[in-house]
Amino acid sequence: MNERFKQRVPRKFVGGYRPKIDGPDKASGKAQYADDMTIKMRFPDMLYAKILRSPHPNARIKKFDLSKAEALAGLVSIMTYKDPEFASLKLTNAGWTDCVDTVTWDRMMFPFRDRRVLGEYACWVGDEMGIAVAAESEEIADEALKLIDIEWETLPFTLDPIAAMKKDAPLVHPDLYATNVLPPDPTGGQDIFEDRGDVGADFKKADFVVEVNSTHHNATQASMDNWCCLMQWETDQLTVWSNSYAADQLRMHISEMLGLPLHKIRAIASYVGGQFGRGDTGDQPFFLITSLLAMKTGRPVKYRHTRHQSFLNTRQPAIYTCKAGAKKDGTITSLYFKSIGNVGAYADLSMFALKFVPKELAEVVLAHIPNLRMESYGVYTNVIPGCMMRGVGNSQFNLIFAHIVDALAEKLGMDPIDLCIKNFAHEWEDLPSKSLEAVLHEGARRIGWKENRHQPGKGQVYDGVKKRGIGFSCHPSWHAEWQEKRRGKVQVNMTLNPDCTVLLNAASIEVGGGSNTCNVLGCAEALSFLGIGVEDIHWTSIVDTNDGIKDCVQTDSAVSFLQPEVMIHSAKELKEKLREAAAEILKLQPSEIDFVDGKVIVSSQPSLNMTVKELLRKGDNAPITVSKSRSPDVKPTGIPFFANFAEVEVDTSTGKVAVQKLFVINDCGTVMYASGAESQQIGGQCMGMGEALTEEIIYDKATGIPLNFNWVDYTIPTMADMPDIDPVLLEVWKGGGEYGACGIGEGTVSCTPGAILNAIYNAIGVRVNDIPIKPEKILKALGKD
Amino acid sequence: MPNKEKEVTRGVMESDTIIAAQSRDIRIRVNGLWRSFKLEADLSAATTLAYVLREKLGFTGLKVSCDEGACGACTVIQDGKAVLSCMVLAIEADGHDILTIEGLPKDDSVVEAFAEQSEPGYGTAMQCGYCTPGFVMTARALLNENPTPTLAEVKDALAGNICRCGCYAGIAQAVLRASAKITAKRSEV
Repeated sequence: MNERFKQRVPRKFVGGYRPKIDGPDKASGKAQYADDMTIKMRFPDMLYAKILRSPHPNARIKKFDLSKAEALAGLVSIMTYKDPEFASLKLTNAGWTDCVDTVTWDRMMFPFRDRRVLGEYACWVGDEMGIAVAAESEEIADEALKLIDIEWETLPFTLDPIAAMKKDAPLVHPDLYATNVLPPDPTGGQDIFEDRGDVGADFKKADFVVEVNSTHHNATQASMDNWCCLMQWETDQLTVWSNSYAADQLRMHISEMLGLPLHKIRAIASYVGGQFGRGDTGDQPFFLITSLLAMKTGRPVKYRHTRHQSFLNTRQPAIYTCKAGAKKDGTITSLYFKSIGNVGAYADLSMFALKFVPKELAEVVLAHIPNLRMESYGVYTNVIPGCMMRGVGNSQFNLIFAHIVDALAEKLGMDPIDLCIKNFAHEWEDLPSKSLEAVLHEGARRIGWKENRHQPGKGQVYDGVKKRGIGFSCHPSWHAEWQEKRRGKVQVNMTLNPDCTVLLNAASIEVGGGSNTCNVLGCAEALSFLGIGVEDIHWTSIVDTNDGIKDCVQTDSAVSFLQPEVMIHSAKELKEKLREAAAEILKLQPSEIDFVDGKVIVSSQPSLNMTVKELLRKGDNAPITVSKSRSPDVKPTGIPFFANFAEVEVDTSTGKVAVQKLFVINDCGTVMYASGAESQQIGGQCMGMGEALTEEIIYDKATGIPLNFNWVDYTIPTMADMPDIDPVLLEVWKGGGEYGACGIGEGTVSCTPGAILNAIYNAIGVRVNDIPIKPEKILKALGKD
Repeated sequence: MPNKEKEVTRGVMESDTIIAAQSRDIRIRVNGLWRSFKLEADLSAATTLAYVLREKLGFTGLKVSCDEGACGACTVIQDGKAVLSCMVLAIEADGHDILTIEGLPKDDSVVEAFAEQSEPGYGTAMQCGYCTPGFVMTARALLNENPTPTLAEVKDALAGNICRCGCYAGIAQAVLRASAKITAKRSEV
């Protein structure tokens, strides 16, 4: 039914349609996740930790009485904020890095150190704080927490960022900041963090000026695999099993905070059941609390969240306004973006979404707009912290971007596709961008853009009340190799056994994005001179910091190609070493010897009929090992684009939006693994559609209590909700290196809400710009509420 | 598990029944073997089937993700029907036959079809894989009852399972492929 993707360069392994390398493990239930590796059967003497969660949005523990809890059978240890182990710890945050790089405490990306590891202050309902217990069972641990008498000082609170900006608003961190508005920081920059040309002057002389706004609410990552860790303290060595997706950073985090040297910490991880940016990338205080309980009790301590507790942070909500100035011919001459972000209780990486990403977008999509101003304010409130989530910053920006494109094109009387192609490209390419043209024209062809699009609200009416419409949104992809400079060295170890099989250690915690498969395919491709297949390569899902290499974290959606690019270089080195070994065995000069498809080729002996495997059997049987550390190639190559097209049907009597079909078009540079890439494209629509239509955390405004921390009331799309999705892979742009690929997985969520929002407008002719677009918002827009 | 909330939400039994249950062993046939448990230490009348299967027997294929019957990750087959093992009390499974994903044969058509799915246009049948055993068992129960479901019937049967990675298209395709495999195997016999 769908058109197959065609490779620009035919390759044996990379780029094909094939089963996932970890498919058999996962389909049979054999794949082990952190919670599986740490069951009671395996650690019979383990304890379970629980941490007090604040019942108040803004409060402080005045005093507490542990006596009833301490008397509970099965309760082993209680630690509180008054214990020197905690009182002595540095202030921290839960997102030292976006996990591209491993960083120390003093080099955290955004230096908002507003978290106590276990403090007496509570800043939102659900805050992990104050008191932690370890007990023989989770139920006893929960019961012990309930038995602690706590006298709270409850304080006025604020939930809304606009209200929280006001001078008399209750302060979220009165001991740290005199205002709820985050101060400028060295990474994010000033409040006005991008200002080129003169937007004010240009708006006065522009032929057309349009101003729009949009609100992106607080969807949550909702990884199926709840946070889980087990800490074991034996012979002054801390071993950590966890479902953090960044082992090296977790080790550094614990080392920096608890003062343990790195060689005394061993972080182990296996498969992770979805990441999606949860936990602000992972420097979570609960790792430290669980460690200290293990150190105090001398027994392994497991800590895991319930589903309710796993609602720990959300996408950074953002209220955006955008004003655009354009000439009659459709040339955009000025753009002004302003955002106000509800940071929630802790700042962590909020400025990544609010400033860092838009600043990057100023170069990779808005490079040809002469007058550009971007302004942002992050505001503390007493709600769940906003942070990283798949498509961080890009999703929020794209919602307003989709909106301004649609609104400006309408005012100009222009096709919005033409408007995009006329104006948007990255800084190293001339207009028009070939990549952007390709994704938009392909999407337009597939959805029947010219035939099916009508004037807003003027289409045919079905069943008397239903109206249909189509819309799109486009965005630059991320990340290409040059954007990964901060990652530092990408490391791969490769070993050739004497029987011509290969041990691959390309450490990367597999969160679902397919890095394992891409790495094994990349390895087989790079070593094609050995004539080996995927089955000849040993790989492992286990990442262990004691292997001595840094794991390549599945962030920025770039791991599909970062390690395979390194493998190209590893393979060259391995071939040289093999040539030297062959020269010794065959008593020839290395320069005479080559290897092609598993055969030994000797220029002076054309009749030699020997396989590499046969050659190796004549040698010393020592494995040939190559350890490669390579920095990403920073040659600026720009980036490709992607686009989503949506077809919706709106029931104007109920306000219900039914998405009929979604098209996802990604220019990938090089497709590393087609089935995996299509899976990302299709899967991203599920999360994007959820954000567009249903997913939102709801609070009781009188108490600040979140009401839907469960999967019945927080509605994630199921199989019954999803429409047909057409995934389209293209190879138009190319970056540096052998593959010159670009990440796609993260971005596939980012254009979905904008495309759906524009399609709804096309259907009903009235704009709803506040996601999730629930039926009541449609009815209100139609004047039917 | 002395958890009152769980007793209230999960237990449909009268308190007399719970007392009676606590006074004896429970026996559950898991993947063909009868297993006995005493309701002591970490086991009580409020213990879920999911806990017994995972923590006591090590059948970690099923996952406890929502722990309240909303996601399907803990699905196992009880007496031929798909059930949510986080919503079944161990004492309710007393005397019953439970099949976990570990109990499926090595060449199970559903497992194979999920592992192999790579048909262009549909993606793979899993990414992170956390929900997969639940989907496999729900699909297995569907195909046991209806070996040749339509796409609509597949969607209906699997709509209680959440895949946060969103691989629904690949999953549906895998179930249809499994159905074809089962039909082919039958015609071989």
